Amino acid sequence: MRRSNQFQTSLSSKVAVALSGLGLAGFVSFHMLGNLQVFEGPAALNGYAAFLREMPIVLWSARLGLLTVAVAHIALGIRLALQNRRARPVAYAVREYRVASMASRTMALTGSLLLLFIVFHILHLTVGLGDPSVHDQLDERGHRDVYGKVIQAFHNPFYVALYCAGQLVLGMHLSHAVSGSLQTLGVEHAALIRLFRAAGPAVALFVVMGNLAIIFAVFLGLVRP
Amino acid sequence: MKLTLKIWRQQGPHDNGRLVSYETDEVSPDMSFLEMLDGVNQRLILKGEEPVAFEHDCREGICGSCSLVINGVPHGPERGMAACQLYMRRFSAGDVITIEPWRARAFPIIKDLVVDRSALDRLMQAGGYISINTGGAVDGNVLLIGKEQAETAMDAASCIGCGACVAACKNASATLFVAAKVSHLGTLPQGKPERARRVAAMMEAMDREGFGACGNQYECEAVCPKRISTRFIAMLNREYLRAGFVASGSPAEPDSSQAGPD
Repeated sequence: MRRSNQFQTSLSSKVAVALSGLGLAGFVSFHMLGNLQVFEGPAALNGYAAFLREMPIVLWSARLGLLTVAVAHIALGIRLALQNRRARPVAYAVREYRVASMASRTMALTGSLLLLFIVFHILHLTVGLGDPSVHDQLDERGHRDVYGKVIQAFHNPFYVALYCAGQLVLGMHLSHAVSGSLQTLGVEHAALIRLFRAAGPAVALFVVMGNLAIIFAVFLGLVRP
Repeated sequence: MKLTLKIWRQQGPHDNGRLVSYETDEVSPDMSFLEMLDGVNQRLILKGEEPVAFEHDCREGICGSCSLVINGVPHGPERGMAACQLYMRRFSAGDVITIEPWRARAFPIIKDLVVDRSALDRLMQAGGYISINTGGAVDGNVLLIGKEQAETAMDAASCIGCGACVAACKNASATLFVAAKVSHLGTLPQGKPERARRVAAMMEAMDREGFGACGNQYECEAVCPKRISTRFIAMLNREYLRAGFVASGSPAEPDSSQAGPD
């Protein structure tokens, strides 16, 4: 019996995309929770940032791991999207959807926009390309002043608009992604079907609300320098 | 009732095809959709034009032959019904109705609204069967099957193989079809010995035939004339993951593509 190629199907790719996607969704959740420390003041957020940088081996392993997961997610996702497009060479003249959400129909688009946003976000707040002058300032404890950077960034309406657009795209992608991943991994039960179908929108709302809270708290002056 | 029909006309597999408008005013609300098309064809024949080719057989919703995308929805506006069970009372005078064939790379158009669905037959040949020795009929109640198992298997087995799931899917995926077959056979004791091989072979065949992958949008379930649940797709995914572990732990066998019993 042939065993060699049997598990190299599109479903295997889907399982890999689902697992890596859930990993990335877990990351954005914890990223948001960590950043909520902006509400505890400069000492907390800068201390948290310093704590993450205290262990370069752990930090860089985590970054490399994330990068690997993201690359796998994106590469397999693109390959699947191309295969899927080939499966219907002639489009319908009239098409009506009954249940498919807007989010589920735009996964490739929101995924691509999300990638652009993440690249921008890393260049902006991690690398500090936007305004190098603030980047390496230290707070009174000698930690890098991440708090100051965040305050400065979200006083600028241009960055606020850009980050809000990023949150919209992230929310759309997550709202289909998480429930879809559970289905792809076969996590399903007659009694819990509503819970699993609601998991995506719930995670999306959780992450987006947390992030928007930070952006608007700074922009509206609730969190001050 | 007066209607405007926009019907996909295509001479053959290699023709480009286009939508052609037909005005019709001899439509009664009591006609079925297919009877309405019969009327259109009758008039086309009398005018000496080529009638519209469309597929139909039982006209009572059980054979799965009819394959019309009506106003962008496979099988049309009714839920849980094949196009043959659709009646013209569902439409109002003056409506414009667009009628297209199933559209998928795996379903090449033969003519007009008729597509070649033998890709689904080849999926069945890849694993949609059980291998048993023929001989005297087995005594009744030799294999006891729990009621819940039997009901689940019957729900999955109600698939009539019409291919509306493929037509409705953004990715033209046959996952719901495969899920119905895998769940139906894998739930019953007769199908269990081959379940690991079956799910892998059928998923592999689905890719080979040029169907897309599932996008978890559940449009298939929403148009299925037998209302096959997408929960069977989750069951299929579990079967596939299980097969990945089971098959990798199976004893080595000589390489042969001849599919035999596991």
